[in-house]
Amino acid sequence: MLTAILILWPMAAAIICFCLGRRSEKARDILADIATIAECALMIALLARSLQGGSDLYLGLPGLCGMGLNLTLDGFRCVYGTVASLMWATTSVFSRQYFTYYANRNRYYLFNLLTLGATMGVFLAADLFTAFVFFEIMSFTSFVWVAHDETGSAMKAACTYLAVAIIGGLITLMGLFMLYNMIGTLTLSEIPVRIEEIRQVWPRPFVTVYGGIVTPTRLYLTGGLVACGFAAKAGVWPLHIWLPKAHPVAPAPASALLSGILTKSGIFGILAVTCNMFAGDAAWGRAIMWLGVITMFTGALLALFSINLKRTLACSSMSQIGFIMTGIGAYALSQPGSESAVLAARGTVLYMVNHSLIKLVLFMIAGVVYMNIHKLELADIRGYGRRKPLLAVCFAIGALSISGIPGSSGYIAKTLLHEAIVESGAGRVIEWLFLVCGGMTLCYMLKLFITVFAEKNHDDELQKQYYGQKDYWNAESRIAVTVPAVILAVMGLFPYLIMNRTAYMSSPFLGITRDAMGECVVVYYAVHNLTGSFISIAIGLVLFFLIFRRLDRNVWPEWLDLEDRIYRPLILKILPGILGFVSAITGQITDEAIILLRRTTHRQISTRVPTGSMDDHLAVEAGMILDHILPHRDGSSHIPVLVEKEERAARTQRVIYGSLSFGLILVCIGLILVLIYTLASA
Amino acid sequence: MDQQILIIPVLFPIMAGIAMIIFKPKAKVYSPLFIEGIVLLNSILVWTVILTGMGRGEGALLFRLTYDLSVYFKLDGAGMVFAGLVSFLWPLATLYAFEYMEHGEHIRSFFSLYTMTYGVTLGIAMAGNLVTLYMFYEMLTLVTFPLVLHDRTREARRASRMYLYYSIGGAACAFMGLVFVLIYGSTSDFTQGGVFSGGVRNVDHNILLAMYVLAFFGFGVKAALVPVQKWLPAASVAPTPVTALLHAVAVVKSGAFAIIRLTYYSYGADFLRNTWAHYLTAAFVMLTIVYGSTMAVKEIHFKKRLAYSTISNVSYILLGVVMMSPAGLIAAFTHLVFHAFMKICSFFSAGAVMHRADRNYIYELDGLGYQMPVTFACFTASALALMGMPPFAGFISKWNIVQAALSEGGVLGICAIVIILYSALMTAIYMLSVTVRAFLPAKDTVLTANEGVSDPGWKMLVPLVIFVIVFTVMGIYSKPLMQFLEEIC
Repeated sequence: MLTAILILWPMAAAIICFCLGRRSEKARDILADIATIAECALMIALLARSLQGGSDLYLGLPGLCGMGLNLTLDGFRCVYGTVASLMWATTSVFSRQYFTYYANRNRYYLFNLLTLGATMGVFLAADLFTAFVFFEIMSFTSFVWVAHDETGSAMKAACTYLAVAIIGGLITLMGLFMLYNMIGTLTLSEIPVRIEEIRQVWPRPFVTVYGGIVTPTRLYLTGGLVACGFAAKAGVWPLHIWLPKAHPVAPAPASALLSGILTKSGIFGILAVTCNMFAGDAAWGRAIMWLGVITMFTGALLALFSINLKRTLACSSMSQIGFIMTGIGAYALSQPGSESAVLAARGTVLYMVNHSLIKLVLFMIAGVVYMNIHKLELADIRGYGRRKPLLAVCFAIGALSISGIPGSSGYIAKTLLHEAIVESGAGRVIEWLFLVCGGMTLCYMLKLFITVFAEKNHDDELQKQYYGQKDYWNAESRIAVTVPAVILAVMGLFPYLIMNRTAYMSSPFLGITRDAMGECVVVYYAVHNLTGSFISIAIGLVLFFLIFRRLDRNVWPEWLDLEDRIYRPLILKILPGILGFVSAITGQITDEAIILLRRTTHRQISTRVPTGSMDDHLAVEAGMILDHILPHRDGSSHIPVLVEKEERAARTQRVIYGSLSFGLILVCIGLILVLIYTLASA
Repeated sequence: MDQQILIIPVLFPIMAGIAMIIFKPKAKVYSPLFIEGIVLLNSILVWTVILTGMGRGEGALLFRLTYDLSVYFKLDGAGMVFAGLVSFLWPLATLYAFEYMEHGEHIRSFFSLYTMTYGVTLGIAMAGNLVTLYMFYEMLTLVTFPLVLHDRTREARRASRMYLYYSIGGAACAFMGLVFVLIYGSTSDFTQGGVFSGGVRNVDHNILLAMYVLAFFGFGVKAALVPVQKWLPAASVAPTPVTALLHAVAVVKSGAFAIIRLTYYSYGADFLRNTWAHYLTAAFVMLTIVYGSTMAVKEIHFKKRLAYSTISNVSYILLGVVMMSPAGLIAAFTHLVFHAFMKICSFFSAGAVMHRADRNYIYELDGLGYQMPVTFACFTASALALMGMPPFAGFISKWNIVQAALSEGGVLGICAIVIILYSALMTAIYMLSVTVRAFLPAKDTVLTANEGVSDPGWKMLVPLVIFVIVFTVMGIYSKPLMQFLEEIC
């Protein structure tokens, strides 16, 4: 029952807030804060209960939405539910100051809280169908975030976001159809057994399970389709197109949530598919791994070339999703239950939690900058953070952690992933790409930090103005930014205290026993682990000081855009164009047939153009004779009247000749003649 | 004797319609209360018959054409679904029509024909054999023809002529299929599993199959099957209550229903499965889905876009039908019911926009969402439902169709999946682009023309809201209906 409350409470609060907001904006803001904080408190209580070994909660609602909704709350879901509700609580506290001068705030609050409910639904889902239902609701409600500003670029980004979400969602739905048809269930806990049965049949091709032969191709296709929609939401290449566009245009609290938690719900789906269907499947693992590497590298590259604060952070999100994907790939590559699988699982979970919190802090700081000076281009905001120590410290905690500097929480997660990649045998190439991308992360974070907090602006007047801003945030916003930053710092400083426990709790969801997770002890600060980190840092520093130190123009080519080059033309022009052409032809067939009939057998439309000249000398002759015999008293001639009559007769005659009935009459006459002939001859 | 009650719901609206023409009321042109009363009374009667199970039995004989050729009514499960659906929608649509037609001309003849159509559609639903079905099918063409012609404009004349040509031609084809069933079948009554189940002698199977295909396309005219679909978008010139009810529900669904009767109750699914006729019809059904959804994206006229959407969605029903399996039949009925609610809702929203704001084209809808919030909220809900998003009803029917297709397996199943995916994407584009325009206009759009536009009155809003509630509730909890369908299939 509690699980349902977790979902319904924010949704109910959303509607109440919307109604309340029409009367009093202040009351609405307070209610929204209370709603999210209460949600967060409830989640923390449930987390504590789970930590003490409380059993998993479960709620089944059979028959709802056709397939029945099933919710459950195990360790992993507790962890992620807590992260999600914490993020909502902080952003909604932060929103009060951020949205002071915004229009349509009521709409924002409505959809914000609805999205919270839907997101909780995704994370609490016990089967893929439930996850999908809430996932779709989440896509639609979060669309309003992106479109909030209603500027041209916001609208375009929002439409891209919606299109990707819908297309991805529909593809996932197809995958779910196929999966259900294949194994007859979508419940996560039942999937591994059934898939295992299918796999055991593969060496013996003529044995059937579940009423048919399931070939490997079909299994991979199904898994790929299901994962597709989730990957689109996570921002995995090549479905990432919406991400670098949508994050910068959304309001900062919304970007924090989009980047911190909505992408993770996509990762959640990929994890659910991988852990339950493809654990230990090398081919799947390799595919995920390479997708992850490409995402990681592309995102980092885009971030390096970006000259806008929020866009850099958005591209960074994409790159970090790539890191998480490599973790999932390493998990799938290694034998189920082996040490590398445990490492990969732990690394993946920690990286997810960690990245959520980092992006929460960083995007809110970007929000602080934006709400004060309404600019985000790096050249404009250069030097804004000077003499603002608390802001700088918070940003630094996030930046250090995301770059994986030893001593931060990011270091722990990255080390685990690095270990997992090495152990799972992914190969040297991937390992080095991993390290290089780590270096690139450091490079762009360094660029941001130095630009905003260290350098002075070229415009001295502006710099003075920046110095003058003392009360750039109120107490609430300060708390909202500081709390997650402090949590991050604590996590980094005491890795065994929090991070190990988090991993321990999450293990059942990832198909790993808690004992195996507990037994696996990693010395985070061992020499070989530190070496990897230092290689990354070295690469980052070299990149920064040699190349990107002086980059403040946009040198990234505009035309290099997957969306404009390929997707939009394909979906909006080529596909409907070709099929439209085919359709237009097929659509005309019957019309043409009818017209052909009318022109030939049914003769309603004359095929000859009437000439207009009439053969009327008969009328003239007759008129002349009549004029002689019976002349009119007034001396006028008979000829015009007769000509008219003859023309009318000729017209009628032509109609008769042309009509079907005339043909029929002729046929009838013919028949009668034949009849008479037969009768006579008989 | 109590079976004779089945005749009343068919004849009562027809008689009432004729009476409305003959007895000219003097003071008023027409009386809404009177018409609504007739329609509502009839609907209550139909629902009573369905719920009490009075209609289950021998059937009611109307008259005999020859000794073994009778016109009679019988209410079986399939008939109950269709009759129930029609009689639920008609009173609401009539209510909507009062407000929509308040400034129109020829209102009296409009409503009399509208009421007569109700009876004729019920006749199709309750027909006990193929002859009865055919007779009412032809009558449907004749009573709806003047409704298409209603506006008397050049365009309306052209559309109605087209409608007539297509329908009459189709009925002729259907007639041939009918004759073969009468001659070679064991009975002309509708029988679950078909009339050829005992085997056929004296005739080549291929000839029977050819006749089936002919009849399939003949009835397919009303179901707007490619290549005989052109009349439907053209007919959207008619007043919205007509296009919505007749061309999204009564007429096209009569076509689909007739095909269901033909396939499952006359020729029999087992007789047809895995023959060339099966594959040929399936291919054309899929082609129609692609055609409808593609053309809808390219269309910029609001109602015509919805008409194209109907073409593709009715073929979803037929896709269930051509699976030639009980699961397919269930899927077909589910979509038949749900699509009716979703499509009539979107058509009525479009009609409300035309009525209040006088906008006909999609590009004119910028920012109207704030002026007509309820209308566009309903439209958005129906858009999501048509796309097959949970928790709306469209999802359930799509789920059923795809499961039926997948358990069929083979090339047919895969093609069906791909085509449904494509169509769902196109549905998203053509439906949601309207919503986005209405609620989120680009920032520099001039919205002065929208001033003074508001939501329509209660007569229009009540049906809209009821439809949304129905397909949402059906989507969230559809178990009773699904159980009923499983019983009858």
